[in-house]
Amino acid sequence: MHCVRKVTDDLYWVGANDKRLHLFESIHPIEDGVSYNSYLLMDEKTVLFDTADWSVGRQFCENVEYVLNGKPLDIMVINHLEPDHAASINEIILRYPDVKVVSTEKAWLLMNQFNFGVEEENFIMVKEGDTMKFGKHEVTFVAAPMVHWPEAMVTFDLTNGVLFSADAFGSFKSLDGALFADEVDFKDEWIDEARRYYTNIVGKYGPQVMALLKKASAIDIKMLCPLHGPVWRKDIPWLLDKYIHWATYTPEEKGVMIVYASMYGNTMNAAQILAAKLHEKGFHNVHMYDVAETHVSYLIGQAFKLSHIAILSVTYNLNVFPPMQNFIDDMKRLNMQKRVVGVVENGSWAPQAGTLICEELDEMKQMTVLNEQVSLLSAVNKMTADELDGLADSIIESMKQDY
Amino acid sequence: MLFKTTEAHEELRAKVRAFAEEEIKPIAFKLDQSNEFPHEAVAKMAKLGLMGIPYPKKYGGAELDVLSYAIAVEELARVDGGAGVILSAHTSLGTYPIAAYGTEEQKQKYLVPLAKGEKLGAFGLTEPNAGSDASGTETTAVLQGDHYILNGGKVFITNAPIADTYVVFAVTTPNIGTHGISAFIVEKDYEGFEFGDHYDKMGIRSSSTAELIFNDVKVPKENLLGHEGEGFKIAMSTLDGGRIGIAAQALGIAQGAFEHAKEYALERVQFGMPIAYQQANQFKFADMAIKLRNARFQVYSAAELKQAHEPYGMEAAMAKAYASDIALEVCNDALQLYGGNGFLKGMEVERAYRDAKITTIYEGTNEIQRIVIAANILGKPPKMNVAGGKQKGPITGARKKEIYSKGSAQERVDQLVEALKADGYDFTVGIDPMTPIVDADRVVSAGKGIGDKKNMKLIEDLAKQAGAAIGSSRPVAETLKYLPLDRYVGMSGQKFSGNLYIACGISGAGQHLKGIREATTIVAINKNKNAPIFKNADYGIVGDVMEILPLLTKALDNGEEKKPAPPRVKMRKATILKEPSHWTTYVCDGCGYEYDPAVGDEEGGISPGTTFESLPEEWICPVCGEEKTAFIEVEKVSNKEDQ
Repeated sequence: MHCVRKVTDDLYWVGANDKRLHLFESIHPIEDGVSYNSYLLMDEKTVLFDTADWSVGRQFCENVEYVLNGKPLDIMVINHLEPDHAASINEIILRYPDVKVVSTEKAWLLMNQFNFGVEEENFIMVKEGDTMKFGKHEVTFVAAPMVHWPEAMVTFDLTNGVLFSADAFGSFKSLDGALFADEVDFKDEWIDEARRYYTNIVGKYGPQVMALLKKASAIDIKMLCPLHGPVWRKDIPWLLDKYIHWATYTPEEKGVMIVYASMYGNTMNAAQILAAKLHEKGFHNVHMYDVAETHVSYLIGQAFKLSHIAILSVTYNLNVFPPMQNFIDDMKRLNMQKRVVGVVENGSWAPQAGTLICEELDEMKQMTVLNEQVSLLSAVNKMTADELDGLADSIIESMKQDY
Repeated sequence: MLFKTTEAHEELRAKVRAFAEEEIKPIAFKLDQSNEFPHEAVAKMAKLGLMGIPYPKKYGGAELDVLSYAIAVEELARVDGGAGVILSAHTSLGTYPIAAYGTEEQKQKYLVPLAKGEKLGAFGLTEPNAGSDASGTETTAVLQGDHYILNGGKVFITNAPIADTYVVFAVTTPNIGTHGISAFIVEKDYEGFEFGDHYDKMGIRSSSTAELIFNDVKVPKENLLGHEGEGFKIAMSTLDGGRIGIAAQALGIAQGAFEHAKEYALERVQFGMPIAYQQANQFKFADMAIKLRNARFQVYSAAELKQAHEPYGMEAAMAKAYASDIALEVCNDALQLYGGNGFLKGMEVERAYRDAKITTIYEGTNEIQRIVIAANILGKPPKMNVAGGKQKGPITGARKKEIYSKGSAQERVDQLVEALKADGYDFTVGIDPMTPIVDADRVVSAGKGIGDKKNMKLIEDLAKQAGAAIGSSRPVAETLKYLPLDRYVGMSGQKFSGNLYIACGISGAGQHLKGIREATTIVAINKNKNAPIFKNADYGIVGDVMEILPLLTKALDNGEEKKPAPPRVKMRKATILKEPSHWTTYVCDGCGYEYDPAVGDEEGGISPGTTFESLPEEWICPVCGEEKTAFIEVEKVSNKEDQ
């Protein structure tokens, strides 16, 4: 049975929700599912904007068929060729063999590589600034390279101000009947998942996101239709502001995430002591994570949000504890920058983690390591407890500065 | 062809030799002993027309050839190595760039008095971090309206501070290496142009050598020599010619030593005959003569090539390297022939021995000469991965660098005291001023900028009120002897690892800074705002120690005896947020690869330090093959006002 929602008078959400998938991209856990959004415009021509993942192919096809209501599908605009949106292209072509596929040159190369079954005579190549009229509606195409794939574009409806924004402005979590961001408690229940989605998927490409935002600021956007998560029709500036923070690697707020790697609880003890000292000194925006117990995508989301990171790690085979190494590597891969970092190492005979962590941080942009580094020998003692106190002071003191 | 000088050359030689023998020889020992510049003799050289030998008569020169100039330097150096280099630095370095690259106006204004010998010229390229490698030049020139504002300094400048006109090299476009360097004509009396000490050298002591210091020196726009960015080219072509002068100087020094040794060895009798005829010494003389003849041919040939406008850079480098290398050998043999007598002060060979050494070092070390020669033979070496992309930070680590340079002296002092108190320094407590440096929590240290010994009272007073021990820089203890040797701070002296270090009149030599790396807070007080100490300090006051120290002492004085300081507790160093790299990076729209000039692109043959703009047009993304046009600039965003 179809399950669709009206976005505007003639625009329909024909996507689907996936609540059974454990790992998005086979890497990021999605406890609350995800939606694959597709939009169908019923103008003189019928236009489908992107498709959906094959895992929800049946629901998606039923939705398209229902909204078309016997009409043929004329055009399919592909803003982004990643298979979670493009995997159903082939099925749509089988059902509507006359459909013309509109996308960029690079998308054409990719859809061939993926064997999505698009014939050359049915492909219309567009580039930045091209326009296309469907009847009442006229759209223009805007290139969005490396947000977060090279072929990506966004499509702007000049008639009603709807921006089909591809993966930009998307979020994890399935919609579960909701369509608009103002129908859910986005700022409370959704923001962390939206951030986790952006930072882990697009985080590396801040400069390109800023380039896209610059182009977007020149047009009057009334509605954002992303490929995941809710549609935005209110409060768009609030979301844009979040994006500017993330894309420029600027913390959203002053706060400390304490991430520790502890084998037998002694490094965790140091983390607890540090957190207690911060609270005791009156600083309360403190969040603690066991790096081995927390999926790195959550850590990345939090690292993008907060101004300070305290990394406490044991030494393992003369290296950084592997899950902690993975967290640091992931930050590096995602272009993380402009954070103030406190470093605490632990080791029972040859503590190494601190030096190695500092070397890694030094290779990243503008990561400031606080002078007050602490080196534990197996467990916290009187002296290192004092040093943790100094570290807490230093964290609070350095809050006064901004990059 | 006959390898022989002309009659005119030999007449000139006779004239210069007579002058040198009569006017310089009698005073040479005195000049050497007292580190004294021969003002009168140089004035007489001008009268003799020696100061502009290779320059056209219409610009006040003698319009003789380059070889004549080389002979003049040789003959002066034969008697006194210092006198030789005065002429060489004046003619080749101070005058040549103006003659070769100056506009007509610049030539009329500067070349004419230089060639006539009314003014003395000098050349300023070398800096502490830019010796053989000029790309390390740190002196800057910023165009502001009709003037360039010069800041920075030069070291080891021959003829300074006597010279009137200086050709100075400074960076006008930062971060692009030698292509960002420009040349300027700077007059001695421009405001803000000062000189450091006259160096106490091993040899050529009659030649004056000093440091140049530029503090906001306003140089008129019309004193730019050539165009912006041509400085390196001008410097290199000047040094090509300068090499002939130094080669001639080395030749002259060796010739003089040789002649003295010959005279002595023919007179000195041992084992019944003049020692010159002992076979061991015969061979020495033969070898010395071979070397001198070889060197002379090299020098004269390079001079002739230059005169004939033939390529001569390699030949000049060969002449310089060879003549100076053999000058050391000849002087060594000459002194050996003198035996113990040659080891005594007042002996010409002793002076020549010391004078000769500099010729293998300055105007391009002989190692650099060999690089020049090899490059002429082998071509440029293939591009190698050289470090150089990464910027070196200050020696003392990241510091706050809050420098107070505006407002009255009192205001600057008040700002400093307020900042120190805010950091938690308690000035009601104190320690014995003679506490060993390594144990002291605070140290007030004096540099050469303190001046007279009586001014050490200011340091003592400040130390008392700051609750600090007294220390100093190395020269203050070692050369001036104001303090015992165990009180100087530095890599080779005492290391300070306490909390507060107040450096008064210390410019911040590398070895000193390495001794205060561990200090929690470094305060610098110096009148030279470009002194390296300021880049290594948390707080600084630009001002004269004579004015600042009494005010600071008073500001820290609470009118009571200092209470004994509690046991030393190391305070927290300030957190300095990392600044963005000075390089501008670009990202590829095809794959997200980031081009970082600090890293370059080794596979693409792009060496570190290459800006994105200067990548060749055909360069492609090393990861996905996109063209250069598919890259976008990564803008640097600062959020200082954000929260």
